[in-house]
Amino acid sequence: MKLRLDIKGKEYEIEMLEEGEDRLKIKVGEKEFSFGKEEKEKIAVAKTTFPKRSFSKKEIGAPIAGIISEIFVKEGELVEKDQKVLILSAMKMENEIVSECSGKVKEILVKKDQEIKEGDILIVLV
Amino acid sequence: MEIKKYKVVSSTNLLAKKLRPEPWLVILAEKQTAGHGKKSSHWFSPKGGLYFSIVLPKSKIEDLQTLTILAAFIVAKTIKDNFFLEPLIKLPNDVLLDKKKICGILTENIIGASTCSAPTLSRVERVGKEVKSSVIGIGLNTNVDKFPKELEEKATSLKLKLGRKVDNEKILKQIVEGLAEQLKTISE
Repeated sequence: MKLRLDIKGKEYEIEMLEEGEDRLKIKVGEKEFSFGKEEKEKIAVAKTTFPKRSFSKKEIGAPIAGIISEIFVKEGELVEKDQKVLILSAMKMENEIVSECSGKVKEILVKKDQEIKEGDILIVLV
Repeated sequence: MEIKKYKVVSSTNLLAKKLRPEPWLVILAEKQTAGHGKKSSHWFSPKGGLYFSIVLPKSKIEDLQTLTILAAFIVAKTIKDNFFLEPLIKLPNDVLLDKKKICGILTENIIGASTCSAPTLSRVERVGKEVKSSVIGIGLNTNVDKFPKELEEKATSLKLKLGRKVDNEKILKQIVEGLAEQLKTISE
């Protein structure tokens, strides 16, 4: 099946092809993207590098690359387990990040609208 | 496929997140008073359109990201197959018809993302990423008769394009089945 696609204002014609029961191939021009069982063959939408940082005991990290769209806590505030601390937007996904542990917010390392990579530390708790 | 139907809701995604029901339950509303897209952008949701959210099973975040992109392909395919129209997919996942928006898709996840101990794992493994719940919301302008003036140049509906009503439930069924099939494939 052929479909038309707009990427940043430029139109492409794409083709979806099935490759057996568990595979789907999408052709965009000469490039082919394959969806299937093997992780390495998926579209690399969250490919990242990981900066070297020290790692303390209670840290809230970015599970995925994206942009911080909202921060709900302040430094010095007490955070409960399962409390929503921020929203991370990635592609068309809005990800509510909740803390897995309780503690006091020692440091908020990001700002609203900041672009972050997967693995970046966002909030440090004590 | 279990569908919970509502006359009016604030947002099907909000309700699905609040209820946290079993996977694959579909929350369907005739009308939304606070339909929204990314960064709380408003989604015009009068009676006649197709507004629904699907509660997704627990999946890896990478699979949810792939599924969100594939959702636009599934919606475009449904429009193309049923009505022989030529929709345009605007990445990551809007669907346009005649350069006007006809469908918006928003996936919302709740993720536990902290490390509360001093593990000996690598940094990548240490950053928590437990997806606690996920919901994918789709707003498709099916039988919308009219848009407000500020949206007339930006949005369209199947009814406006075809000059007739379309079967919302039939379209809903095809999209949900398509998504279930794709998620099964990519998460296997």
